[in-house]
Amino acid sequence: MNTKIFLSEEDIPRRWYNVMADLPSPLEPPLHPATGKPVVPDDLKAIFPMELIKQEMSPDRFIDIPGEVLDVLRLWRPSPLYRAYRLEKALKTPARIYYKWEGVSPPGSHKPNTAVPQVYYNMKAGIERIATETGAGQWGSALAFATTLFGLQATIYMVRASYTQKPYRKSMMQVWGAECIPSPSTRTNSGRAILEKAPDTPGSLGIAISEAVEDAATHDNTNYSLGSVLNHVCLHQTVIGLEAREQMATVEHYPDTVVGCVGGGSNFAGISFPFAGDKLTGKHPDIDIVAVEPASCPTLTKGIFTYDYGDVAGLTPLLKMYTLGHDFVPPAIHAGGLRYHGGSPILSRLVHDGVIRAVSYHQNEVFTAAQTFARSEGIIVAPETSHAVKAVIDEALKCRQSGEAKTILFNCSGHGNFDMSAYDAFYAKALVDYEYPEQLIRESLARLPKVG
Amino acid sequence: MSWRYQSPPHFTSTNNQNTILRSFLIMKTIGFLINPIAGMGGAVGLKGTDGMLAEAISKGARPMAASRAHQTIDLLKDVPLRYITCSGPMGEEVLEEAGITGFLVVYQTPQVTTAADTKEACREFLKSGAELILFCGGDGTARDLYDVVSDTVPLLGIPAGVKMYSAVFAVSPAAAAEILRTGASAPLHLRDAEVMDIDEEAYRKGELKAMLHGYAKSPYLPGFVQGAKQVYEDQDEDLAKAGIGRFIAEVIRGTPDILYIIGPGSTTRAIARELDIEKTLLGFDAVQDARLEGSDLNEEGMLALLANGRPARLVISIIGAQGSVLGRGTQQVSPRVLSRIGTGNIIIVATPHKLAETPYLFIDTGDRELDAAFGEFVTVISGYHIAQRKKVGSGNPE
Repeated sequence: MNTKIFLSEEDIPRRWYNVMADLPSPLEPPLHPATGKPVVPDDLKAIFPMELIKQEMSPDRFIDIPGEVLDVLRLWRPSPLYRAYRLEKALKTPARIYYKWEGVSPPGSHKPNTAVPQVYYNMKAGIERIATETGAGQWGSALAFATTLFGLQATIYMVRASYTQKPYRKSMMQVWGAECIPSPSTRTNSGRAILEKAPDTPGSLGIAISEAVEDAATHDNTNYSLGSVLNHVCLHQTVIGLEAREQMATVEHYPDTVVGCVGGGSNFAGISFPFAGDKLTGKHPDIDIVAVEPASCPTLTKGIFTYDYGDVAGLTPLLKMYTLGHDFVPPAIHAGGLRYHGGSPILSRLVHDGVIRAVSYHQNEVFTAAQTFARSEGIIVAPETSHAVKAVIDEALKCRQSGEAKTILFNCSGHGNFDMSAYDAFYAKALVDYEYPEQLIRESLARLPKVG
Repeated sequence: MSWRYQSPPHFTSTNNQNTILRSFLIMKTIGFLINPIAGMGGAVGLKGTDGMLAEAISKGARPMAASRAHQTIDLLKDVPLRYITCSGPMGEEVLEEAGITGFLVVYQTPQVTTAADTKEACREFLKSGAELILFCGGDGTARDLYDVVSDTVPLLGIPAGVKMYSAVFAVSPAAAAEILRTGASAPLHLRDAEVMDIDEEAYRKGELKAMLHGYAKSPYLPGFVQGAKQVYEDQDEDLAKAGIGRFIAEVIRGTPDILYIIGPGSTTRAIARELDIEKTLLGFDAVQDARLEGSDLNEEGMLALLANGRPARLVISIIGAQGSVLGRGTQQVSPRVLSRIGTGNIIIVATPHKLAETPYLFIDTGDRELDAAFGEFVTVISGYHIAQRKKVGSGNPE
C-alpha cells in the first residue's frame, strides 16, 4: 500500500464546508463592545470586506471557492495524505495513523489556506493594502505570500521579540514584498503610547493587533486580516478535512479518531469540521474528535464558556467562547501559535456540546513526541503541531494495549524549520513545563467585579 | 562609580525590611576573600571543616579553595575590576598568580585563620569601598560574611566548601566570572539569596539541621529561560515576586474562610506586602482574610491555630540552592502540622529564576509517607496566574 495518497488537482474541493449549518441551534452572535447588542455587518465594514463579513455570518452549508482562489491553492493543493507506517512500526501499534501534511505550502503551514481567499476578497473590494499582526511569523509570512500573488501591499506588525529572535520569518516576508515592522512601532497611536511608557518593551500579540487594527481603521485603502478564531477563517481551512476525507475514502478508510492542535482553532477546524459535520448529522455518530492544547494555556480544558473580548485591550466584539480571560498573558512557551486566551466560537460551542473533546499537554512531552515523529517519519514539525503528534502517539499506544486497530487521522499543520532554537532548548533541558493553576485562579477572581 | 558606601547595620533581625541596595548595580570595586581551609573536610570525608581542621589535615586534606578561586580570577584578567583583598592565602596569592596588579591589601592574614578573620577582613573591605564581596568558601563563610554585610553589599560565592545550601553561590567558578564580567560594564540584577546556617556537629552525626540564617543580596544574570517566540520570559526577580505576591494575595482575599500559614522568604513576603501586613522574613506567620492571625509561629503556635479542623493552607517557597521544599529552615512545620493542613493544601511559590536553577525539588518533611504523598510532580506558582510543573527528586539533594 502507498505511503502517500494524492488527489489530482481536479479534486481540490470547489466549496468550503460551513459546520454552522449543521449545529443543532444557531451560534450565539458576537456582541458589540460598546452597546452589548449583536454585531451587524455594518459594524465590521471599516476593517473587513463585505464578502468576508457575509461568510462570517452565513448559515449556508456550502460556500463556493472562487476560481481565482483555486488557481492559487493549486500551487500546493491538494496536499498529500500520509500513512505513517514508520511511526506505527516505531510505536508497535496496531493503529492505522494518517496525517495530512500542510507543511507543503510555500510558507510552510496551513495558514495560506485562508490568507489567499482573504486577500482575494479584499482585492475584489478595491482594497490596496492589508494590515495584520504576527507573533511567531507563520501568519505574517502566509499573508505576505498571498498579497504578493494578488498585487496588494501588506504591512505586518511583528511582535518585536520575535522580530529580533526569528529573523528568517521576517526575511520570507521581505522576499514576498511585505513590509514587516517590529511592534510596538511609531506608526500608530497605540504603538507610540506604549513606546513612550516602555521604550524597551519586547512587544506582545495584543499590542500588535491593536496597531494593525488602528492602521486599517484609519486608512480607507487598507483592511485588517486575522489568521484564526473567526468563522470565515475556520471556513477557509475546511479544504484540509474535505480533502482528507476524500483521500481516506480512496483506501476505504474513515477515521475513528481525528486529532489537531488548537491555538485560536483554525487548523483544527480545517481538519475536523467536515468530520464534526458527519457526527452532527448522524452519519458517523461515534467518531472521536480531539483538540490538543498546551497545559500552560488550556483554554478548552480549563477555561470558562462565556462572552469575552478577542483582544487584550477589549476593543473587539465580545465572542461567546471558552476563555481564560482576555487579560490572561500565557507563559512564553515555544508553541507561540497556541498562546491565545480564547478560541474559535464554533469550536468552543462544539466542545461545550460534547461533539469534540479537548486534552492538554506540557512542553517537554510534546517535544519528545516530535522527536519520535522526526526519527520515524522524518518531518521536523512545528512546536504547535507537536501537540497533535503527542496526542496521536498516546492514542496509538492505547491501541497497543487494547489491541484495537483504530484509524487515527491528524493534521500535521506545519514544519518546524524555523523553530530550531526551540528544539535546541529542549535538548538543553531548558524547557519549562508551565501549568495553569485553575483552582487558585478561580479563587483569586472571586472578589473581582464581573466583566462582560 | 555609581554606588556610595554606607555602613552596614550590625543586626540579625528576623524582620529586616532594609532595602538599601538598588536592584541594578555596575560594580568596579570587589572585595575578594578566600577561606583557605574551606572544602578541606569534605575531601577527606568529614562533611564540613568547622572545628575539624586538625583532623582534616591529619587525614591528608590539602587546601583546595585557592585553586577554585584561581579558576574564577583567571577568567577575569582582562576585566577592569579593582580588588581589595587580604594578604597571603586569603586572597593576595591567587591574585598575584593570575597576574592581577594594582590590588589593595587591607587585612593581614594570620598563620591560622578562623571565622573572626573572615568577619574582620570583610569590615575592612567595606571601609575601603567594596561594592561586592567575591568569596571562595562554603556555607560557613557565607554566614560569616552575611553577619557583617547583611543585605547592604551583595555577596557572590565561588563554590569550594563542603556544604553549599546557601543560594549566594554561583554554579561554578566560571559562572562566577561570567557574572562579574557582565557586572563590570552593565547594570547587574540583584536578588535575595538565602544564607543557610548548618549545624556541622549534628551534620557529621548524620543529622541535617539547616536553619535559614538570612537573606543576602546576590547578583545574577537574568538569562532568558527560553528563546521565546513571542515574548521574553520575564526573569526580573522583583517583578516575578510582585506577580506571585499579587496572585496569592488575591487568592487569600477570595477565600476568607481559609487560614493561611505563610513561610519564610522574600518571595512569600511579597504576598504580605500586597495584603498590607507585616511579615517576618525568617518566620512563619498566619493570615486569614488579609488579617494577621499570628507572627513567627512555632509548632505549638501553628497547632493551636489549626485546632478544631480549621481549614488551612500552607504557603512556602523553595529554600536554599538545592531546591528544598520543607526540611530546610522550616523545622517549625512538623509532620503533625503538615498532617493537619494536608499535603493537598500546600501552595509552593518560587520565581522563574529560582526554578531554572533547580531542575528537581526535594521534599523532606521528616515523614516518608508524607513525602510520598506529594507525588512525582508538584505545581509551583511562578508568576501572576502562572505555574510550573516541577519533578520531585528522590533522596537528599546533596
